[in-house]
Amino acid sequence: MPLLEVENIRKSFGGTQVLTDIGFSLNKGEVLAIIGSSGSGKTTLLRCLNFLETPDEGRITVNGELLFDGRTRSKKDDLKLREKRLHFGLVFQSFNLFPQYTVFENITLAPKLLAKEEIKANGSYLGADNYKDAVDAIDKKASELLEKVGLVSKADEYPCNLSGGQQQRVAIARALALSPDVLCFDEPTSALDPELTGEVLNVIKSLKSSDSTMIVVTHEIGFANEVADRIIFMDNGLIEEEGPPEQVIGNPQSPRTKEFLSRFNQFGD
Amino acid sequence: MSFLNVTLQLLNGFVQNAIVFGVTLLFAIPLGLLIAKGSMSKIAPIKAITRTFVWIIRGTPLMLQIFVVFYVPPLMARMFGVPFFGFDRAFKAMLAACIAFVINYAAYFSEIYRSGIESIPRGQYEAGAVLGMTKSQIFFKVVLMQVIKRILPPMSNEIITLVKDTSLARVISIPEILKIAENYSLEGLIWPLFYTGAFFLLFSGGLTLLFNFIEKKLSYYKI
Ligand SMILES: Nc1ncnc2c1ncn2[C@@H]1O[C@H](COP(=O)(O)OP(=O)(O)OP(=O)(O)O)[C@@H](O)[C@H]1O
Ligand SMILES: [Mg+2]
Repeated sequence: MPLLEVENIRKSFGGTQVLTDIGFSLNKGEVLAIIGSSGSGKTTLLRCLNFLETPDEGRITVNGELLFDGRTRSKKDDLKLREKRLHFGLVFQSFNLFPQYTVFENITLAPKLLAKEEIKANGSYLGADNYKDAVDAIDKKASELLEKVGLVSKADEYPCNLSGGQQQRVAIARALALSPDVLCFDEPTSALDPELTGEVLNVIKSLKSSDSTMIVVTHEIGFANEVADRIIFMDNGLIEEEGPPEQVIGNPQSPRTKEFLSRFNQFGD
Repeated sequence: MSFLNVTLQLLNGFVQNAIVFGVTLLFAIPLGLLIAKGSMSKIAPIKAITRTFVWIIRGTPLMLQIFVVFYVPPLMARMFGVPFFGFDRAFKAMLAACIAFVINYAAYFSEIYRSGIESIPRGQYEAGAVLGMTKSQIFFKVVLMQVIKRILPPMSNEIITLVKDTSLARVISIPEILKIAENYSLEGLIWPLFYTGAFFLLFSGGLTLLFNFIEKKLSYYKI
């Protein structure tokens, strides 16, 4: 059974169809890269998965649990919604760190808020049955994540004192702190100076493992080719072509894909 | 008239100013938040009513509003033949002044709050949302501190204006500092009138220091 199953997602904004029958599935540990020209609906798709937008139609299933069904759409329930959201993480193009908190606090804020409620509701969080132990566990995890993204020395800095690349790595750690089933990246390097994209891409590469499932929207074709298990090329709200990188990038079938990729090859990648 | 005597009398008057000031801050700060919520409401009639209200309050002189609050209720009471409650005149005047000031300043504060809240990028809300925070957690843990930092300069401006505006209370015979100084000048003693400036300067100077201190406290991060 795939970890994530997306079926027939449709979304339109005021009469303009932005997503048309988007469907794909993703196994645990797989990395999916989504490429496509500007306006093709990549961001909208990630926003639908993270429940920042509500699709008009379609189904989203994670681990066999039906999270969204366009036919039986329930009314917005804040607590239910966040429970669903916790299956997904999202790293934004513009980082969106919380400026008034340190790097460490940025990472631990949401887990600590969650721990308080989880312990009240279910009696435990991260294996701890009281808030104090949960906080210890959260702090420990945050330190490990900071190590993973190579920013241990910046733990007590404020975001305004970090470079864009460092901020984005913090944002990645912040998203990972909640252990989402699927971590989504929306053009994580396109707001960065070219010399800073490498450090962020390397972190994402290093996250690839048997139990981290990721969807990366990117314009870095070389990176997608290297890190992705599968690639989706989106055009005009449709999945135009889908397959392993050797196929989609190495030997594209659709003329739209060919045209899109040729624009990159012109500049020698 | 000795200098000390005048000082004490003026100080007495300034207590009235301080009362208006304190009461206004105490009530206008939270009331302004309520009005700000109304003017950002998704429910169109609430939004329209609140914005009209703010427009009227900001578009008419505070002095006129003080007159309205002071004179209209007793007139209405007389018109309908209900006895108007029996506090003494000084208390009624102070109450009227405070109500007028609270409403007026709440309207101004609400606009400052609104622009502060609207200036927080949507990404901050969305980042909180995808991290599984509830709406109230996002507001109190993520947005509020940033709003406070943003509105601090316009709020300090407005609050220092309030210090000076309190002397408007004299139009309904509240014995505030300018009123007392004016009485002296009617008796031929002019200098107390200028002396009142020292009281205002001292008070607003203290506030300026306080705001600078808070601003510095909040400068550990940039938005
Ligand atoms: N909230 C919205 N309201 C109206 N239209 C929207 C909204 N969000 C997105 N769109 C439209 O949907 C289309 C797809 O946008 P989307 O941001 O998903 O594209 P994208 O593939 O991420 O593009 P880019 O590569 O530029 O980020 C665009 O035409 C955009 O104008
Ligand atoms: Mg996009």
